[in-house]
Amino acid sequence: MHYIWKEWKENIRGKGLWLSLSIIVLLSISILYRSSILSFDQGFYVLLINLFDTIIYFIPILCLFIGAFSIFQEKEQKTLIMLLTKKDNYPSFLLKKSLGLYTVVLVPLLGWFFLYLLLLKFQFQLDMKSYLIFVLAIVSLSLVFLQMGAAIGSFSRSRMQIIGYTIFVWFYFFFLHDFLLLSFLPDVTHENVKLFSSFFFLNPLQAVRMFLETGMGVYSFGHMSRLLEMFMWTKPVFFLIGNLFIWLAISFGIAIIFNRKEGYE
Amino acid sequence: MKKLALLTLVLSLFILGKPEKNLAAENLQAKIDSLQEGAVLHLKDQTYPGNIVIDKSITIIGTKHTVIKGDGTGNVISITAPNVKLNQLTVTGGSMNRNSSEEYAAIKIHTNNNVVEHITIRNSFHGIYLSQAHHNKIRYNDITGLGNGEIAAQGNGLHIYYANDNLLEANKIEGTRDGMFFEYANNNRSVENKISHTRYGLHYMYSDENIFKGNVFTMNTGGAAIMNSNHLKLEDNQFIINYGNQSFGLLLLQANDNYIAGNTFFMNQRGLYIDQATRNTITGNRVIQNQIGIELWASSTDQIFTLNKISDNTFPAITLGGSGEGNTWSQHGKGNDWGTSFPLTDLDQNGIGDFPVTYHSSLHQLLEDQELTSLFLKSPAIAIYEKINNTLNSDEIMFTDKHPLAAEKTSHASLLFVALGLLVGLILLKGRHYYALHLEGMEGKHKR
Repeated sequence: MHYIWKEWKENIRGKGLWLSLSIIVLLSISILYRSSILSFDQGFYVLLINLFDTIIYFIPILCLFIGAFSIFQEKEQKTLIMLLTKKDNYPSFLLKKSLGLYTVVLVPLLGWFFLYLLLLKFQFQLDMKSYLIFVLAIVSLSLVFLQMGAAIGSFSRSRMQIIGYTIFVWFYFFFLHDFLLLSFLPDVTHENVKLFSSFFFLNPLQAVRMFLETGMGVYSFGHMSRLLEMFMWTKPVFFLIGNLFIWLAISFGIAIIFNRKEGYE
Repeated sequence: MKKLALLTLVLSLFILGKPEKNLAAENLQAKIDSLQEGAVLHLKDQTYPGNIVIDKSITIIGTKHTVIKGDGTGNVISITAPNVKLNQLTVTGGSMNRNSSEEYAAIKIHTNNNVVEHITIRNSFHGIYLSQAHHNKIRYNDITGLGNGEIAAQGNGLHIYYANDNLLEANKIEGTRDGMFFEYANNNRSVENKISHTRYGLHYMYSDENIFKGNVFTMNTGGAAIMNSNHLKLEDNQFIINYGNQSFGLLLLQANDNYIAGNTFFMNQRGLYIDQATRNTITGNRVIQNQIGIELWASSTDQIFTLNKISDNTFPAITLGGSGEGNTWSQHGKGNDWGTSFPLTDLDQNGIGDFPVTYHSSLHQLLEDQELTSLFLKSPAIAIYEKINNTLNSDEIMFTDKHPLAAEKTSHASLLFVALGLLVGLILLKGRHYYALHLEGMEGKHKR
C-alpha cells in the first residue's frame, strides 16, 4: 500500500502520466468526434475498433516509458538502495513497485474510459459486454508493456539506455516480430502451423487484437478452413492469458536477473 | 347423489385438464377450413398450435402476442392458395429435420400474390420459403435463426426458390445460414432489409435481373455472394464490418453484366471480391477502410470501375492470379477518387488528376499462396514488407487509373480539434508548472 501511495504521489507530481493520459483522452475524443456520422446501432463497434487501432500506437510506448522511468527514478534518487538495505530484496521491491505502477496507470485510465462510456451513450447503442472486452484489452496491453518497461528500467544504467531499449522493444513488437513471421509465411504447412500460431500470438498486439475482435463478435471465426482451424488451436482468450503470463514472467525474470542497482546520468 | 358427485368429478377433470390447446388447434385449422374465400380471421392473444395449411384466399390478422407454434415435424404454416394475407403473428417450432425429403420452414408459400408482413419467426429451419411462388410481398418480418453453429444445422432467413417478381422489403434477419437465398429466382426486388450475423447476408445462385436496393449487411461472414447470376442491380446498399478471415462485402463469382452503384463497403476484410466475373460496372461506390478495397482475380475480365471513392483501405485494390484482360479503372475520362492513397496534383483544377496513378504491390503472391496472410493485413509490418519489396523491385502493377479523380476536400475540423486539445494540454501543463513555482515561492517566503 505504501508503494502504491508513493507511486501515486510521484506520478501526479510528474508530467509523464498526465501527458500520456492526455494523449489517450485527446485521441479518444477526436475519434468520437470523427465517428459522429456513424450509424446508431453499428457505429459503436466501428468506433471501438478504430479507437483500438489508434490507441495501440501509443499505449505500448507510453507504458514502456512510464514503467522504465519509474524504476530508474528509484535508482537516480538512491531510494532503491535505501529500500533494499532496509527490508526488501529486489524481487519483493519489484513486485510491490509493479503493483504500484499498475494501480497508478490503470486507475486514471479506467476512470477515463468510464467517463468516455458516458459520452458514447449520447451517440450510440451501447453493448456493455463489448465495451468491457475493449477495456480488458487495453488493460492487458498496459500490463504487459508496463512490466516490460519495469524490466528495462531495472537493467538500464542511463536515460539514453532506457530510450534505446524502449524504442527497440516497441519497434520489435510493432514491426519486426510480424515482419519475421511474414517471411516464414510461405513455409507454413499443416504440420508446423501450431508452432507458427504460437509465435504469432506471442506478439501481445496480435493476441490482444484477436481477443478484442472475436470477443466483440466482429471478427468471425465461423466456417474456417482446416489450416485456419489448426492455427486457432485454442480460444483467443487463452492466447491472451498465455501471452500475459509469458511476458509478465519473462519481464519479471529479466528484471530480477539483470537488475542494476545504480544508475548514472 | 353418487352419480352427481361422479359427474362433478368428471367435469372438474375436464376443466382442469386444460385441453384448450388442442381445441384451439382444431379450432384454427377448422376455422380456416370453415371460412369463405376472402374472409378475415382475427386471432387472439394466445398460442395456437401450428402445422396449418391455408388453402383458400383469406386474411389472418394476429395481435402482439398471437403465437402459432408448430410441433417440430413440418412447416408451421403452409400457404397453398393465392391472395393470402398474414399479419402480425409470431411463428415458431418448424421442423429442423434435415433427413426429410422436404426442407421445412416457418412459413412456406407455394402460391402467388400473397402478403406476409409483421411476422416474427423463431426456432425454425428456414424462415419464409417461397417455392415457385410469384408476385408475393414479404415485408417487415423479423427472423432470428439459431446463431453461430454448424452452417447446415440451420436454414435461411428468406429462401426464394424458382420464384419471380416478389418484393422483399424491410425484413430484419439475424443468425441464420444465409440471410436471403435466391435460387433460380428472377426479377425480384429486395429493398431496405437488414441482415446481420449470418454466413452470407445475401446469396444469389442462378438468379437474374433482380434489384437490390438500400439493404444493410453487417457482421456476416460474407455480405452478399452473387454467384452465377447476371443483370442484377445493386444500389445504395451498405456492407459494413464483414470482417472474418475470409470475409467480404460483396462477392461476384461467375456473375456477369451486373450494375453495382452507390453502395458503401466499410470495414470489411475485402470490400469487393471479384472472381470469374465479366462486364460488371462498379460505379459511385464508397469503398472505405477495408483491409483490401477490391480483390480482383485475373479470371475476371472487362470490369469497369469509375467514380468510386476508394480510400483508407490497407490495400486499395489487389489483382491476383495475373492481370485480367480488359478491366478498366476509368470510363469516359473519369476514374476513381483514391483519397490520400496516392499523391495527386490537379493544376488545371478540372477535378481529374494531372497524371495517371499506378499501384504496385508485392503482397499478391503471398495472398494467393497462403491464406494466413490475411491475419497480417492490420499489422504495421505490412507497410515495411511492401517498402522493402518495392526497393527490391519484386512488386507488380496492380492497376493503373488513367484519370484519377482529385480527392474530395475534407474538413480540417478534426485536425483543428486535436490542435486545440494539444494547446489546452500545453497550457494546463505550463499552468501547473507556474502554479508549482508560485507555490514554491510562497513556501520559500514562509520558510524565511
